[in-house]
Amino acid sequence: MRIATAKQTYLADEALIRTRTQMAWCGVLAASLLAAPFVLDSYWLYLACLVLINVASATGLNILTGYTGLVSLGQAAFMSVGAYTVAWLERNTGMPFLLNLLLGGGVAAAVGMLVGIPSLRVKGLYLAIATIGASIILHFVFLNWTSVTGGARGLQVPPASLFGTQLTTYFQLYWVFMPITVVMVIGAANLFRTRIGRAFIAIRDRDISAGVLGIPLLRYKLMSFAISSFYAGVAGGMWVYFFRVVSPESLTLADSIFFLAAIIVGGMGSILGAILGAIFMTLVPEVLRYAVEAASPYVADAGSLLSPIRTIAFGALIMLFLVFEPQGLAEIVQRIRRFFHLWPFKK
Amino acid sequence: MSGITRRMLMALLASSVLATAAPAFAQQDVDEIIIGGSMPLTGVFAFAGVAIEAGIRDYVKMINEEGGINGKPVRFIYEDTGHQIDQAVAIFNKLTTQHRNIHLYYGDSTGFSRTINPELERRGDIMLTSVSFASEINNPETFSNQFIAGPDYSQMVSILLEHIAKEKPGARIVFVNSDGEFGRDPIEPSTARAKELGLEVVEQIITPPGAVDVSTEVLKLRRARPDYTIFHGYILSPLPEFMTQARQLGLETKFMGTFWSMDSSIWEDVGEHADGFMGVMPYRYYYDDAADAPMLERIRQMRPQYQPTGYTQGFLTAMLMTEAAKRALDAGKELNGANLKAALNSIQDFDTGGIIGVPISISGNSIPVGRIYQYSASARRMEPVSDWISLKD
Repeated sequence: MRIATAKQTYLADEALIRTRTQMAWCGVLAASLLAAPFVLDSYWLYLACLVLINVASATGLNILTGYTGLVSLGQAAFMSVGAYTVAWLERNTGMPFLLNLLLGGGVAAAVGMLVGIPSLRVKGLYLAIATIGASIILHFVFLNWTSVTGGARGLQVPPASLFGTQLTTYFQLYWVFMPITVVMVIGAANLFRTRIGRAFIAIRDRDISAGVLGIPLLRYKLMSFAISSFYAGVAGGMWVYFFRVVSPESLTLADSIFFLAAIIVGGMGSILGAILGAIFMTLVPEVLRYAVEAASPYVADAGSLLSPIRTIAFGALIMLFLVFEPQGLAEIVQRIRRFFHLWPFKK
Repeated sequence: MSGITRRMLMALLASSVLATAAPAFAQQDVDEIIIGGSMPLTGVFAFAGVAIEAGIRDYVKMINEEGGINGKPVRFIYEDTGHQIDQAVAIFNKLTTQHRNIHLYYGDSTGFSRTINPELERRGDIMLTSVSFASEINNPETFSNQFIAGPDYSQMVSILLEHIAKEKPGARIVFVNSDGEFGRDPIEPSTARAKELGLEVVEQIITPPGAVDVSTEVLKLRRARPDYTIFHGYILSPLPEFMTQARQLGLETKFMGTFWSMDSSIWEDVGEHADGFMGVMPYRYYYDDAADAPMLERIRQMRPQYQPTGYTQGFLTAMLMTEAAKRALDAGKELNGANLKAALNSIQDFDTGGIIGVPISISGNSIPVGRIYQYSASARRMEPVSDWISLKD
């Protein structure tokens, strides 16, 4: 049972890490992140990089949808804006890739603010449809602004370069993506210890009440869109350095749904939830491959026969989580924590 | 009580997922030739992926029954991508990590071919082909370790245009393309080629992806009054709607398509309205019983039911990949991307067993050969209406 954790100050009470146990787990996580590239093979390292990109984007969407209550199906489009910006800068300027990523995030944030303007008048499903509309407009721009976006074929991107070394392997890219994503996640966690973050939560809980309390709704809603889109833009920039090509068909509405599903499965309004959701959505389809592989010796032509079942199993897993654990994966973690907090006095 | 049940269920779910995540051990692939594959067995391109997988598998089975490649057995290992690029790349990484001697690979899309290209160049040990006939892949400088088992999309339209120029010099043409990477692929080179051949492109229609109502586009077609209407970027829909409405308006235009809209089984369900639809096909159809096509006879013996054109693409692809591997081994070369590609490019006047009706040569990244077929609703078959057309380099 956890005892002796009474806090003497508000600062201590609001700290991100409040107990030694949390400190220890954070240490384990940090050690795992540092050790991962040395123990993972190319395949798992690829997935690790993909998870990092998805965590960054899902965290951004969680700020908007989970914390501010503004449903968006435009996350992939904002990622595309970041990806195209980074691709264009990398091809046409000699700027360092970190600056390109920041600018990618900046341009995406600007676009996100524009898209967020309707959020003052509409919310819920209506806002979701408005963001789909914005995605369609952006797709049209990507397809037809050929001189900048490369049209239907898109843009090929040279590898990112750091101190004269081209970052081409997953090992190298991991060492760039991991710190960026960690900083973004810590930034998001800290955001909700500030006035801005609390304003977002107030808007989510009841926007009219938040307005009555003196929170300028338009400013904070647009700010939420901007921050969320900035995260998406940076994630899109990492995405394009990872895949080295972007086209109008790279990041689609299906990817926006993927990120929305990730934060729902993980747990909306929870930093841990976005992380767990992104990990779940990225890795479970891959893990299910091993089920197909395990069945291969026993089922003739397992590859083509069982692949549809794998897709169905993934969909069913998401549905089961929604039905049986609507608070998301983060709630499971909380339940486990509560169990140990109260152990051995609660069975 | 219900809480316990819920937790138990979640624990069961989690453990079952984890149980399947047994570590994959790098496998010892002793002295065998492996073809890896990121295959679109589910998703929007599953209709092609399943057929292609069957084609590759049958050819691999056939060549193994004949003793493999210089005594080395051939193995085809693949996994489903759902036609998603990130999954296709994941599978590429998974298979190439598990099997160190994969030197031949089949990809699931243009996007994958393009995305994996920098990695192919960096690794240098793999030659790749895919479901894609995209024109941009037909560039030996930028896609040096890739090839297309047929003409690219621009070459397909060029073959159609050559046929038209011969059949009706100075004909009026309308291009109808879907609004996407696939659909827009051949527009520019095809327009230029039409001009070179003295044909007049009187209209260019772009339809939104997934368009069903095409009445506006049909009106444009009526205004243009073309002799030929060439579709690209579709499988089936909205072609039947186009043809039906155009005929109701009394248009005499001939409708044509490219590879993915040329499988005869997709037109069977359309019925009479499909009659007369034409297009380019680089391979002979399953049911072609020409005397100089013994390989098709073997396919029919292996599979008595009709096999779609995707199957033939997969079969021929496996044939060309293994032929390249054989030539590289015969020359005492190491199997890697450059040597395999050089071996593939050494193919001159190669007999495909009648799958392609003329001997083929692969000087670059594609095989610019095709034939014009026309669908007969009464025979429920595609029937040839031209000889084989080989494009000049």
